[in-house]
Amino acid sequence: MRRTGVVSCLLVSALCLVALTRLPAQTTPPGQEDLDTLKKTAVKVYLDCGSCDIEYIKNEITFVNYVRDRNEAQVHVLITTQGTGSGGREYTLTFIGQNGFTDVKDVQRYFTSSTDTEDEIRRGLVQALRLGLMSFVGRTPIAGRIAIKYTAPRETGPVRDPWNFWVFSLSSQGNISGQKTYKRDFLMGSFSANRVTEQTKVQLSFDYSNSRRKFLIDSEDRTVAGTSESWGSSGLVVKSLGRHWSAGTYIETYSSFYKNISFSLSLAPALEYNFFPYAQSTRRQLRVLYRLAWNPVRYRETTQYGMLRETLWTESLSVNLDLREKWGTISTSVSGVNYLNHFTKGHIDTFGTITFNVYKGLNVFVLGGWSLIKDQLSLRLRQPTEDEIYLRQIELKTNSNYFFAVGVQFTFGSIFTNVINPRFGSMSGNSMSISIN
Amino acid sequence: MSGTARKDKAVNLSVPKVALLVFLALGLAVTGLAWARPGLGQVPPPPGGAPPGPSLKVFLDWPGADLAYFGGEIPFAEFVSSLDAAQVHVRVSLSPPEGSGALTLDFAGLKEFAGDDNTLRYRPKPGEKPEESRSEVARLIKIGLIRYVAKTPAAKLVSVEFMDQVKPTSVIDKWDFWVFNLGSDMFMDGETQYSDTMFSGNLSANRVTPELKIRTSVYGNLYRQRFDIEGESIKSSSQSYGFEGLVVKSLGEHWSVGGYLSAASSTYSNTKFSASAAPALEYDVFPYSESTKRQLRILYRLGYTQARYRELTVYDRMSQGLFRESLSVTLELKRPWGNVTAGLEGSHYFFKPFKYQVALRGEISFRIWRGLNFEVDGSFAKIHDQMTLPKAGATPEEILLMLRELETDFSYYFSVGLNFRFGSLKSNVVNPRFGSGSRSVSISF
Repeated sequence: MRRTGVVSCLLVSALCLVALTRLPAQTTPPGQEDLDTLKKTAVKVYLDCGSCDIEYIKNEITFVNYVRDRNEAQVHVLITTQGTGSGGREYTLTFIGQNGFTDVKDVQRYFTSSTDTEDEIRRGLVQALRLGLMSFVGRTPIAGRIAIKYTAPRETGPVRDPWNFWVFSLSSQGNISGQKTYKRDFLMGSFSANRVTEQTKVQLSFDYSNSRRKFLIDSEDRTVAGTSESWGSSGLVVKSLGRHWSAGTYIETYSSFYKNISFSLSLAPALEYNFFPYAQSTRRQLRVLYRLAWNPVRYRETTQYGMLRETLWTESLSVNLDLREKWGTISTSVSGVNYLNHFTKGHIDTFGTITFNVYKGLNVFVLGGWSLIKDQLSLRLRQPTEDEIYLRQIELKTNSNYFFAVGVQFTFGSIFTNVINPRFGSMSGNSMSISIN
Repeated sequence: MSGTARKDKAVNLSVPKVALLVFLALGLAVTGLAWARPGLGQVPPPPGGAPPGPSLKVFLDWPGADLAYFGGEIPFAEFVSSLDAAQVHVRVSLSPPEGSGALTLDFAGLKEFAGDDNTLRYRPKPGEKPEESRSEVARLIKIGLIRYVAKTPAAKLVSVEFMDQVKPTSVIDKWDFWVFNLGSDMFMDGETQYSDTMFSGNLSANRVTPELKIRTSVYGNLYRQRFDIEGESIKSSSQSYGFEGLVVKSLGEHWSVGGYLSAASSTYSNTKFSASAAPALEYDVFPYSESTKRQLRILYRLGYTQARYRELTVYDRMSQGLFRESLSVTLELKRPWGNVTAGLEGSHYFFKPFKYQVALRGEISFRIWRGLNFEVDGSFAKIHDQMTLPKAGATPEEILLMLRELETDFSYYFSVGLNFRFGSLKSNVVNPRFGSGSRSVSISF
């Protein structure tokens, strides 16, 4: 299929070329000097995308100039992604005109499938970018050197979906590493079945993981080993109730060595309200979710409250805010849990991250989280051993935990980043990426 | 320690649970299906499923325009005769100065494209023939219409190409491609009985052009940890700082020559201070211009390092000067079927027989069949050159917290993963309700 597509594409381009040579000379190709002049007036683009193959894009799209700061750009391309029902991703490309192009704005979308390889994904994204950039390129003299071709479509039948939107995924991963005095192995497997439509979302999954570490301490002639194992399954069904409301149910089971939980089952109906319409979710979300859960638990070892099993009733409320704007991003969440049958027990989690483009070349990020913990109901009664503490193998008694990070980057000098030079290997710029669950 | 005993217990406990879970998951699936079915009637047809009709309906508002010509030039558009039937309204009008032949092209989106507006301008070149002008205007109309076509199934059938090769350095740049960066980060986390803090800072000055690459940076890192064990607070720290420089000159499509210069200090590797210089030569079997698709680079390095140690090494030295040569082969492929990265590197010290290191690493991700992906990642190193290893060894805490380089002959890593997906591939639906599992925030400078 693909090959015939390529062949017909080639054929069409070849035909076009032949046709072109036969036509009376249209525009004579400019000399190198004229080209340099054209390139100097080309659109200045700032690509705002953390997960794109930037080098590839620069290599493929050469009719614009790339700059490293959004304030210098005439087009700010903000690229955001979201998961789709079939396990692929939706790329939303927001083209924001500025510095003389303020009247032009556009949003383009590109969908990947979960079976696409990196090369297919980057090709598709380059196509979407090329098309979206035309609105701006049309305003610069380099437009005269753009060729647009069209391949007539072949007849295709209506698309049928025998799977009725169900998508299944099985995955497993194992790794080992070591040297003379240290060994580690890790094994994980997961299965998921999802069905996502605009009206209903059904997500089912099962995960298992096992990790072992072993250290040889020569001086004391002993071996320190630690194992941690966990598994869990979860189910979620969500029904859409208009542009702002949703209702659903969670069913979860899990087991964890670290948390001293042998088996936990939780059944929780929930309700959510989003202050922004769900349709804007790739750029803006402010969601409030309330959940009421019935949760029987069995512990591995006696807990600090002397329990081996119990049934908990919990309620929780969480608020999530996510904004992605020209000047940066904000992502924050606050959630609180308390127990209806142990009313004084509970915990509060907060999380926030901000990236902010303060001024030309000056970027700041702040990331932090803090938890107040008054419900270590599963904490082991016995004291942990010294090795368990060093290997962070079991949960320790605590009242709170926190993490905090701050970074400042100031860049000045040349604004252009057109050049890619792969010699002696490429070095990526300063970047960090954070996954939030 | 009772680690193994506990592990056995954990495994025994989990076996019936797995069975129970599979049962539960199945039950859930059935419930889920039952719930999902009634909603079926409301499910929208999958996007992209409509048969690709020829085109975008355009109303060309230009009295006297040769519609047959523009129809032939712009095959993805169908020129309709009334505004009601159109998705895009293109108005072409004369613009001042009068008699210059200059035109203004106003594009206005209608119906599903409402709000997608743009204005392009056409100015004829001196001495341009009428048929040249007509073809240039057709090109501009095409360019202006692309944003709408991009939102229809025909987006895949359109190709946009730049007809020329230009130098990426054809820009007006008063900084002559120099980029300076100052950065610092701090990260800390903790709970009642544990905390750690990491500081890092760097200053870099880089200049990258196709002919010459210059990278220099100064950096510093500090890492601290605290554990409370039986009322006693145990603290540990590690630090490193240094300078790194690289200059590479391009010699055609396959060859490069350059040099590395560095100075460093590190507690992990028992180095108080070391300075090294290494000229190097590289050959890429594929042209460098194909680097984003494929690379097979062979790099030879010859270096001298002068080092002073923190503690006496296993070879009873507090300082030494060492000559070393290394050869590495790196393969990187990114193709439609998957990615391959592989490397083999060997190095040895001169005048020190049998002090060598050989390392092999590789990573393959491969699409075997439609939804079936296979990933292997691994490395193996034979290590006979730990010149900086301290004679005194490491304490148990330093071993468990991985604060020190340890004596070894080898190290390895191997990982294999299999991923199989099947089911519907047509669903491009995004449903953000109750969160979409995981989001990722990435910060780059």
